[in-house]
Amino acid sequence: MLALSGWVLCALGIAVILIAAIGLVKLPDALSRQHAVTKAGTVAVIFFATGVAMIAQDPAWSGRLLVIIVLLLLTLPLASHALSRAAAREMSGSEAKTRHYQ
Amino acid sequence: MNPVYAFVLLLVVAAIVGFYRLLAGPTRADRVIALDLLFAVAIVLSICAALASGSPAFLDVAVGLSLVGFVATIAWARLIDRQVTQGEDR
Repeated sequence: MLALSGWVLCALGIAVILIAAIGLVKLPDALSRQHAVTKAGTVAVIFFATGVAMIAQDPAWSGRLLVIIVLLLLTLPLASHALSRAAAREMSGSEAKTRHYQ
Repeated sequence: MNPVYAFVLLLVVAAIVGFYRLLAGPTRADRVIALDLLFAVAIVLSICAALASGSPAFLDVAVGLSLVGFVATIAWARLIDRQVTQGEDR
């Protein structure tokens, strides 16, 4: 039962990463693409790691997956903040003014 | 059939989409964002490799990839930031 819900969680993570990829192509400018990719990417990796930990049911696996989740939660907000600041500064100009980002 | 292979197929689709944005992105920030998605896909793919092979050694690869992805994103973002604020555009 736990393994089955682990597989469902893994499939959910894959679906979220596919949604992030669709957003990367479809959204109109760098800031909205960054919004789609970094948040959905974090959630997808966390879902997948939790699912694999529920499938394996082994401390050697779940410990390392917990390290991955904690590292992602610590580092990804910093990285996406720096990235979105760079994106906003790069498109600061006529394009950003018409889109009300400044 | 092991469902891990279906996961790998879908992840390859996501990686191809990310490579499209990496090659076609109009600004440099777009390319770094595509790189961010590719790092997430690579982490999930190495967890898939651990699941398919049954050995937790690939999880250490995933830990290393998450650290390298963080450092790479920060470095590229600061590079773009510095070049834009110093006025040498493109």
